[in-house]
Amino acid sequence: MNPLAAVFYRESKIRATNTTFLFWDLFYPMCYLLVFGVGVNAALGSPALGAHVNYDSFFLAGVLGMASFGIASNSSWSFFLDRDNGIFYEMLTYPMRRSQYLLGKVLFNLCIGIVQAAITIAVGCALLKIHVQWSLLPLLSVVVIGGTAGWFFFYSIFALKICRNDLFNSVTSVFYFVFLFASSMFYPLDPLPRWFRVTALANPITWEVDLFRYTSIGLGVPKQLVWESIAFALFALASFAYAVRCLREQG
Amino acid sequence: MSNFALEVENLAKVYERRGQPPVRAVDGISFSVPRGEIFGLLGPNGAGKTTLLKVLTTLLRPTSGAARIEGFDVVARPLEVRKRISMVLQETAAELFLSVRDNLLTFARFHGLDSREARRRADTVMEKFQITSYAEQKVQDLSGGSRRRVQVSKVFMIETPVVFLDEFSTGMDPILKRAVMGYLREEAAKGRTIVLTTQILSEAEELCDDILIMNRGKQVARGDLNALKLLSAGVYEISLTFDKLPETIASDVARLAPLRSHIDDNSIEIALKAEEENILDIVSGLSKKGRVLRVEVSGASLEDIFVELTKEK
Repeated sequence: MNPLAAVFYRESKIRATNTTFLFWDLFYPMCYLLVFGVGVNAALGSPALGAHVNYDSFFLAGVLGMASFGIASNSSWSFFLDRDNGIFYEMLTYPMRRSQYLLGKVLFNLCIGIVQAAITIAVGCALLKIHVQWSLLPLLSVVVIGGTAGWFFFYSIFALKICRNDLFNSVTSVFYFVFLFASSMFYPLDPLPRWFRVTALANPITWEVDLFRYTSIGLGVPKQLVWESIAFALFALASFAYAVRCLREQG
Repeated sequence: MSNFALEVENLAKVYERRGQPPVRAVDGISFSVPRGEIFGLLGPNGAGKTTLLKVLTTLLRPTSGAARIEGFDVVARPLEVRKRISMVLQETAAELFLSVRDNLLTFARFHGLDSREARRRADTVMEKFQITSYAEQKVQDLSGGSRRRVQVSKVFMIETPVVFLDEFSTGMDPILKRAVMGYLREEAAKGRTIVLTTQILSEAEELCDDILIMNRGKQVARGDLNALKLLSAGVYEISLTFDKLPETIASDVARLAPLRSHIDDNSIEIALKAEEENILDIVSGLSKKGRVLRVEVSGASLEDIFVELTKEK
């Protein structure tokens, strides 16, 4: 069997037999949209977004970005589980390349990411009446794939470099705070102070969420999106290359 | 093609640590192992056995030297090496979230076995290792000993030419351990090469065709059991059982400067190096200290050789 398929088989077996994993990956982001999105929309409205965009619609892209970030974080944490179970080092002696091990893991996460995005969008349309740009859905799928893969490779670097679970949890907590809040995930950047906007524009989450926003509800500046997609692709490639290097150093 | 399953040439692994002197975990080891042999790698804690195993299984890159598995260099052709090996790590390694059966099937998939054959072999292996009754239970719900069974059983799912076992019998009950030793002999008879490390010297004594003793990263002895025993000519084991342990026996034993000694309620066991003609005098001297119920004198065991070769100078 192809090593990628073997890793995919392993990951799917583990997830399919553990419903808590599936809940966090597939349904938790949707709950965020239903609770936080609806709450902010009702309480604060959306004066900065323009008359034709409500907060639910705006926040859909944020939830998709948060989900790909979360799935990547959960999956990279599985390196710790594998290390604790001892199976990690045994797997490194299986007949596959280090890159195939990483790609097999990410392949499964991409499927989870796609299913999660489909559920979230379906719920957003059905319950919150969000007007999705259906013609852009193929592009949105590409963003789900690129985004989830990029964040998984990025997180893998830290999961492989840091051997202590508590330290890794601290790092991910800081990442959650910095990446998610200093970005366009929860609010539009235009009304924010200049230093905040500059920080957010240098944040890969902003690039990904802007792409999600354009491909889901058509909101965004095409020229800026081109640059953001190039930047994110480079970020994902660099993360992949470095993650493979970190994996080769394991032993 | 080489006649050897394993060839190691002047292999070294040095750990560099900032602000500390480098540690030479493996220091210029050379050996080769013919196919179908059970090869034992012995040494005290920190001797470099596990590091050597990690290099041979492509988990670590050596600092210098070369190692080949079935003719493939572990650095230049790691994938080819991995296709030819299976490994039981020192730590218990199992997929905790999967059932026992799924552990075996997943392992088989990684090694390219088709699913029908994998299922057939899984049934056979679970029977052998007495884990059929909990085939559908998740490994996280099993005891440590049962997890170890699952881990070791995996190498019998496939037919890689070289098997590495790092302290394979840890956590196994004596009956299963004996059975697994039998299975390993069968695998070796089929032509598989087994490389094992162990701290249980009787296990190596019983199982290994060839033994390499390491200490501080270096080879200190190599050969089959008989050859190693020659290295330790003049080492004897004396065992005496008294009706009541004499009061001065501990100091009497200490005066003999034994290689090792053990004193319990009413008996003593010592291993010491002595001239053959003096042994009876020593036994006679100790026997005079009390009423002796049993006396036994034998030649050196692997444990004696091991202690003698690896003791701190």
